[in-house]
Amino acid sequence: MLKEIHTVPVTSTWLWYGIGSRNELPEKTGLSHWVEHMQFKGTHKFTGDDIDSLVARVGGYANAFTSPDWTTYFETMPSAHLHATLELEADRMINSLFDPEDVETERTVIISEREGSENYPEFRLDEAVQMHAFQQHPYRNEVLGSKEDLLGITRDDLYKHYRKHYQPSNAILCIAGDISPNSVLEEVENLFGGIPSSPLSKSIPTPEKSLNPGNQLELEGPGEAHYLEIAWRCPAARDPDFFAYTIIESLLSGPSSLNMFGSGDINNRTSRLYQALVEEDFAASVFGDLSANIDPGVYKIFATIRPDGDPWAALKIINEQIRQITAHELSQREIDRAIKQASALFAYGSDNITNQGFWMGYSSSFADYQWVAEYLTRLRSVSPSQVLRTAQNYLREDQRVVGIYRATKTQGDL
Amino acid sequence: MNTSMPDSKTILRETWKNGTTLLAYPNLTSPAVYFTGYMQPGAIADPEEMFGLASFTTDMLMTGTKQLNFQRLHDKIESIGASLSLGTGHLSTTFFGQCLREDLETVWNLLVEVIQEPAFAEKQFKRVRNQILTGIAIQNQDTAEMASQAFNRALYGSHPYAHPDIGYAQSVSIFKLDRLKLFHETHYGPDGLVIAVCGGIEPEMAQEIFSRSLGAWQYDAQSPPEELPPFIPPTASIRSHVALEEKNQSDLIIGVPAPKTVSRDFHVCSIGNSILGKYGMMGRIGKAVREKAGLAYEVSSHLGAGIGPTAWTISAGVNPENLEKTIALLRQELLRFTTEPVTQQELQDVKTQALGRLPLSLESNAGIASILVSIERFGYGLDHLRQLPAIIESITTEEILTTAQRY
Repeated sequence: MLKEIHTVPVTSTWLWYGIGSRNELPEKTGLSHWVEHMQFKGTHKFTGDDIDSLVARVGGYANAFTSPDWTTYFETMPSAHLHATLELEADRMINSLFDPEDVETERTVIISEREGSENYPEFRLDEAVQMHAFQQHPYRNEVLGSKEDLLGITRDDLYKHYRKHYQPSNAILCIAGDISPNSVLEEVENLFGGIPSSPLSKSIPTPEKSLNPGNQLELEGPGEAHYLEIAWRCPAARDPDFFAYTIIESLLSGPSSLNMFGSGDINNRTSRLYQALVEEDFAASVFGDLSANIDPGVYKIFATIRPDGDPWAALKIINEQIRQITAHELSQREIDRAIKQASALFAYGSDNITNQGFWMGYSSSFADYQWVAEYLTRLRSVSPSQVLRTAQNYLREDQRVVGIYRATKTQGDL
Repeated sequence: MNTSMPDSKTILRETWKNGTTLLAYPNLTSPAVYFTGYMQPGAIADPEEMFGLASFTTDMLMTGTKQLNFQRLHDKIESIGASLSLGTGHLSTTFFGQCLREDLETVWNLLVEVIQEPAFAEKQFKRVRNQILTGIAIQNQDTAEMASQAFNRALYGSHPYAHPDIGYAQSVSIFKLDRLKLFHETHYGPDGLVIAVCGGIEPEMAQEIFSRSLGAWQYDAQSPPEELPPFIPPTASIRSHVALEEKNQSDLIIGVPAPKTVSRDFHVCSIGNSILGKYGMMGRIGKAVREKAGLAYEVSSHLGAGIGPTAWTISAGVNPENLEKTIALLRQELLRFTTEPVTQQELQDVKTQALGRLPLSLESNAGIASILVSIERFGYGLDHLRQLPAIIESITTEEILTTAQRY
């Protein structure tokens, strides 16, 4: 996928693979993320140092991300160096070495990455809630993998996963920026055209449309603030109801940005939950997260509760707000406002070439490019009755997980 | 995006009679506008034992004005998909705004209103205080934050920078609303206010919009900026350890006082710092601690920039069992960095990186506005981006070694 933008001499290249924690099997959680790390360790042609320098030397920046549905690698560079980027991506699609010594070094690096996250109560609570939100589906697993699995995964596991899923038929290459499409297409054909593809075979989980009724969990630990997290099922990104859900999210907890690279957010201080929880002093902050996924995922609300506050009192307030949104149709004005917010967020992201490259592959990874191209049009077509029906279908008390992290130690400041 | 480089020919810069300075640069292909800037006061204006007063006052500004209560104020901003925020640093209060170009005047006027006529409502005061106290409580359990605070205490000693801008639970708990009002009356004014704007608007149009609501603001009672006390660096190595229960990772900071930001040394150290802990996968220390030893996911070095004293630091997150091993590896790398010149290849790599990054930093409105602010804050001059390549090119391996040895 190519997008010409000639405003600055910069290109952003994104290579997406249709593999993530969604396709991992029990006892092998974290494989996709670990493979992503190994892709920076070298091939016969490019050593790890070469990969490191290739982008950095010319002032570019590069990174990779693993999600439940996809793994992606990107490089944003001065456009004169696009060829080097494409050469690297074509080479490491098939020739990464997975040196056993590097595998062992990376094992401890990833465990360290996990331990860093575990320092935060929010991470521990979120991991527990996510696990309760799915019975079998791998969306229940943390992308980093469990520590137990990270200790047990072998070099062979990683290499097999890599060879099986890193191939042209499972990849989408997106380039945005200062390019000449015909010559770039020729270059891509030369570099990637000869890489063999075998028939795709990956574990495809059965979507879980509902949650177990009465899911509730409570964690305890050191800390000076309590946390409340609630997760409801949300539809897959391709589902028409997803757009109605986006309006609900905007109204309840504030709009989410599709921008990956800090191109602006909109505060949520007029959202219903902020007004009810924070303005009325039941919580110090609240935000929501609606993720676009291949399979039905979760919409989450997180609230931070003061040390002398009560998470259960905050939950009652949330219940009341949910009751209201499932009982009455929104006004068209409220829907228009959500659309205006989404339009503004798009405008903020559009001045950034890296975002333009990201959007193409991101939406193609769980739907198609039309998903992002028609995002605003589809939001505009959402009706108040569709919002009400979606809220009633999904935001049910018997279809959610409630998680509380209760801090066991306070300094008595409040 | 405008393909020309921001310089004295393309940046509009003017200072009004009231002491406010505006810098504007166009990006006419963008449908949005981003503005940022800074003004008095910063946390150094906190009176003795009233740590966090400046920050608390700033937090109150966005809770409503004399004309608009909290709900109406934020409804005006959020209903048009705009954002507006303020924050307090050591030396100044910073502000940020983003909106579609047709909404610029509306959003800017709201910022002027919250700065000039905040409501300081009692209910909001209590709520904001609770939010700040909760924020402090969360920080107290954050290993990275606690390491940073311990480091600042050790480095800055009796200097005001030793204290967190947000203050302490003990100080924030006892502030009275009237004290915040007085602080606002004393320090907020147009003198020293700097605005940088970039986006889909002609600079002359931005100038008209910004000056219409602010150009005539005169406030003779505004107190002059606080003078920064002298910084006396530690005379010996200091080690400090904060223990937190049930944490799986320790956060470590090692550092020294950094060179002044407006100095040749700073440019030299900046290039040296890239080699030490930034370039590619976090430079030499990334290679030693993460790539070879597998001890940490996060390890990097950072050269602080600012008007007052700053620090040159290395930070890492490691399993507590690997803490001493990591410190030993970092010391080894620091010894090498201060006893052997970096290689010509290393120097060449980071020079081309620094030069290549210039066009990338102009990729977004926010990136350009941030450069405009730095140009003004540090007095670099409007042709800074044009002059920077020559400065970078002139740095040598020997200069990095001798400069690193001094710091």
